[in-house]
Amino acid sequence: MSMNRDKGRDGLGPDLGRLYASVPVPKAPAWFVARTMARLRREEDKKSRGWFELPRWILIGAGSALMALGWLWWESKPSVADAEFFAALDAMVEEERESRWWAGL
Amino acid sequence: MENELDEKLVLRIAQGDEEAMRELIVRHQDRVYGTVARMIGGAGPDAEDLAQQIFIRIWKAAGKYRSEAKFTTWLMTVTRNLVFTFFESRGRKLEVSDSILDSETDEVQERWEPVEGRTPREDLAGKELIDAVKLACASLPPKQRLVVHLREHEEMEFSEIGKVLGVSELGAKSLMFRARENLKIKLSEFFTEPS
Repeated sequence: MSMNRDKGRDGLGPDLGRLYASVPVPKAPAWFVARTMARLRREEDKKSRGWFELPRWILIGAGSALMALGWLWWESKPSVADAEFFAALDAMVEEERESRWWAGL
Repeated sequence: MENELDEKLVLRIAQGDEEAMRELIVRHQDRVYGTVARMIGGAGPDAEDLAQQIFIRIWKAAGKYRSEAKFTTWLMTVTRNLVFTFFESRGRKLEVSDSILDSETDEVQERWEPVEGRTPREDLAGKELIDAVKLACASLPPKQRLVVHLREHEEMEFSEIGKVLGVSELGAKSLMFRARENLKIKLSEFFTEPS
C-alpha cells in the first residue's frame, strides 16, 4: 500500500485511497515504444526536408507559373518608340535655345 | 539515482541520441500513458496519440531541460500542458461515456485478481465499485484529478505537484483537499455500513 495513503491527512485517506487504488491504471500498449520512435523519425525527416517535402509537380508548376507571370509583366510594359525618344530630345534643345534668347545671350 | 540516470539520458537526447530516447520511453511509458489515460477518461487511440506527443516534445525540448527540477516533475509538466491543451481543443472537460467504461471492462477484468471463494455477486460489486470510482474521478475538475493521480499513484511530494501545476505547495494541498471532499460526496454510498 502507498505510504501516502497511510499518512491519510495529505492524501485521500485510507478508505478513499483504497477505493482509488482499486481502479487499475492503464499501461502503455504493446509496441508503444516502436510506434513512438517511428513517429519521431517521421517528424524529424519531415523537418529536415522542408520545402523539398512538397511533391515535385507542385514545385515545377509554381516555377513555371512565376516565369509566365514575369514574361507577361515584361511584355505589358509600355515601350518607347525611337521617334518619341528623338522628339523629346529635340524639345529639350528647343527649350534651351529659347531660354538663351530670353536671357539675351 | 533514478533521477541521475534520467538526466544523463536527457543530456544524450539533447545531442540527438535516439538510443537514449528509446531507453527513456521504455522507462517512462507506463507513467505517461497511465497519467494521460486517467486524465482523459480511459485508454485508447487518443491516449496513445497524446502520450506519443509528450515524448516527441521531450525529444525536441531536451536541450532546454535544466536539472533544477526532477526529471519526472518536468515530464509531468509537459504531460499536464499537452493534456490541458487537448481539453481546450476539444472544448470540453471530460465526460466518461459508457463506451469508455465498456472499453476498459476487459482490461479491468484481466487485472481483477481472482480470489478463491468469491461469488459472482461479489465480482459484480467489484466491477460496479470500479465504475463508480472512475466516474467520480472523471467528474473532478482536471487540476483536482491530476493532483489525486500524482499524489496517490505517482506518490509525488506536494512541492513537486505544485511545480507541475504551476501553483504553490499550499495551492496543491488545497486542490487535494477539495478533490477529497468531492470524492467523499460522490462515493459516500460505499462508505456506509449496511443496516
